Amino acid sequence: MLGSLRESLDLTLFWEYRAILLRGLLENVYIFLGGAMLAMILAFAIGVARLSRRWTVRVLSTGYAELFRNTPEYVLLIWVYYVLPVIFSRLLATRFNFSPYAAAILALGASYSGFMSETVRAGILSVPREHTEAAMSLGMSKWMIMRRIIAPQAIRRMLPEALNQFVSLFKATTFVSLIAVEDLMYKVSMITVHEMRPLPLYTGAALVYCAIIVAAAQLIQHLSDRWRRRGWA
Amino acid sequence: MLDNFNHLVLPNINLLLRGLSVTAYVCFFAFLLAIALGSVACLVRLYVPFIRVVAIGYIEFCRATPIFVQLLWVNYVWPELFGFPKTVVGAGIIALALQSSGYLAETFRSGIEGLSKGQRDAGLAVGMTNLQIMRRIVMPQVVLVMAPSIVNQMTVVIKSSTLVSVIAIPDLMYEALKLVNTWFEPIEILTSTALMYIVAIFLISILAKRVSDHFRSKFGLAGLV
Amino acid sequence: MKRMAAIVRVVELRKSFGPLEVLRGITFDVREGSVLTIIGASGSGKSTLLRCLNYLEQPTSGEVYLDGKPIGFRIEADGRRAPDTAANISRMRAELGMVFQQFNLWPHMTVLENVIEAPIRVKRLARKEAVDLGRRFLSKVNLLDKENEYPARLSGGQQQRVAIARALAMQPKVMLFDEATSALDPELTGEVLEVMRALAKEGTTMLVVTHEMGFAREVSDRAIFLHNGQIEEDGPPARVFSAPTSERCRQFLSKVLH
Ligand SMILES: Nc1ncnc2c1ncn2[C@@H]1O[C@H](COP(=O)(O)OP(=O)(O)O)[C@@H](O)[C@H]1O
Ligand SMILES: [Mg+2]
Repeated sequence: MLGSLRESLDLTLFWEYRAILLRGLLENVYIFLGGAMLAMILAFAIGVARLSRRWTVRVLSTGYAELFRNTPEYVLLIWVYYVLPVIFSRLLATRFNFSPYAAAILALGASYSGFMSETVRAGILSVPREHTEAAMSLGMSKWMIMRRIIAPQAIRRMLPEALNQFVSLFKATTFVSLIAVEDLMYKVSMITVHEMRPLPLYTGAALVYCAIIVAAAQLIQHLSDRWRRRGWA
Repeated sequence: MLDNFNHLVLPNINLLLRGLSVTAYVCFFAFLLAIALGSVACLVRLYVPFIRVVAIGYIEFCRATPIFVQLLWVNYVWPELFGFPKTVVGAGIIALALQSSGYLAETFRSGIEGLSKGQRDAGLAVGMTNLQIMRRIVMPQVVLVMAPSIVNQMTVVIKSSTLVSVIAIPDLMYEALKLVNTWFEPIEILTSTALMYIVAIFLISILAKRVSDHFRSKFGLAGLV
Repeated sequence: MKRMAAIVRVVELRKSFGPLEVLRGITFDVREGSVLTIIGASGSGKSTLLRCLNYLEQPTSGEVYLDGKPIGFRIEADGRRAPDTAANISRMRAELGMVFQQFNLWPHMTVLENVIEAPIRVKRLARKEAVDLGRRFLSKVNLLDKENEYPARLSGGQQQRVAIARALAMQPKVMLFDEATSALDPELTGEVLEVMRALAKEGTTMLVVTHEMGFAREVSDRAIFLHNGQIEEDGPPARVFSAPTSERCRQFLSKVLH
């Protein structure tokens, strides 16, 4: 057992393949950035729509958020990759395919927009109604109040939570290898097939992700504390 | 499309339901194990000097490693390293439990730390031991107050469990993908599968919310969190 | 004789929240440069009345005119009333400054930023001009030295004085005060009342809801007592406070004064 422990902690094999693995990790980062961008845009739209005065808009946007919040990310990923192109092909009557990258960004973006729309909604609601009234009494328009009074406060208040969502999103990028995106885990399994030594490779991957995410979490904690001290968050 | 549904999904519904039962089995035991591991990690972190660091490391590692990575790690590395788990189902359960135990430990901790000191003092004043206070006074309140987070973690387990198909556990996702690879008709099968998951998760959240609302209002805890 | 003109006219104003009728036909005028005090028990509709004046609440019926112009509706060419555009309502609101019980400063902006926000965004003043204006009003409320602080770091009295400066910076025709000192500790009310007293002396038109009877008596030209959504007592402060004709007003005053 000690021998195998030493072998599993002996990460030289992992280190030998660093260039390939790093390229894989970059794929994770690209998909993360694309997914995060999409999620943010959708989340803002949906979060605001959920506070609409029109009940149809409210019901539809709430349904959207609930649907994507309750769908497992992996199921959504597979669905977007295999089913959506077939539907599009039939609708457009041509062959239509997603690249694995597009499917991954679309699926993860949609999935996390559901969670984040809730954060956006809560952020907007956390701004007291009286702040809006004070602005109205000075003659500010609705749009101006949203932009200058509500959004700055709401965004600060939802930042810590949103950053945590981004961390989850980054974690979710690890299984895009399952639709053949050549990310870090994809490279790891390829190299494993080649080298027949899963221990250092999978342990190395686990440690790399763990380190990245612990660092990110520490940073978020530090930032949130600072914002809270300034009376923002 | 409905035609395809009749041809593809209905004849194979038994297969899908069997997959769903495997999903339920894996999730159930993973969650039980997660609660046990999470409680231990939380108590060690709070009350045991010196080994506290180990608990913190464990919790952080569980929370920071993506579930998919953990799953493959437990499945490929653990048997060689520790000699167990012996089956893929065991690996799936352990990986899911590790993941959730980290979150649950932190949930329990914030619940315990949020409890007023007066609660403990009242227990001490009537002569209860620390263990009694923990079991009879602290834990019930923590579970009650933290019920929403705990339920949320339960749905996370179900969502994560979709990945165990990758290590060939015959869960719902596994059966669905197998059908897709046999018939090459993804629309109906995958959509039905997605709906089954969504409904299951939705039902659990609603049911759990009902139950926890009931207890919280009964004990006057409503609005505490 | 401009000072005699009614700058605010309220005609048969009614407001209901669902089945609850809070204002049941309120009519009064306020002359330019005068101070009107509104008193009444809690829940009698004082806040609702002020909020209807600048359309934070939409009146159920009745009319409000500011300087002869209706607020919240337009008279069409054929004489019918039509709801006014949001932009016009905003423009009218800017001419009525409002000070709230809870200050309602925006916590993410400094004191000066709070004050110059509306002059820049609504009146489209150049930043430099707005800053000059803002400083002028901050010095008027004795807070020039706090211009770069965030509201959270000020005392309640200081926050309320900033809120007054913020309303004044729009150079409104009329100032509305809704229990401006009620949320303050007793030792902090003085500094806010001092500012309001100075404004009254300068001839600012003010509608003041307050429970500070001594202050009301000293600065106002006229006082009205609201009860059950109606004006129950109306007259010069000397009479309303010393010899009210209404039994309810007498009871209310004896409760507040002792
Ligand atoms: N937005 C609202 N919805 C329903 N009822 C309200 C609302 N605002 C005020 N009210 C009710 O109207 C009555 C008068 O309130 P308010 O004008 O605040 O009284 P005051 O300022 O004199 O204390 C109260 O009974 C209050 O409950
Ligand atoms: Mg009031």
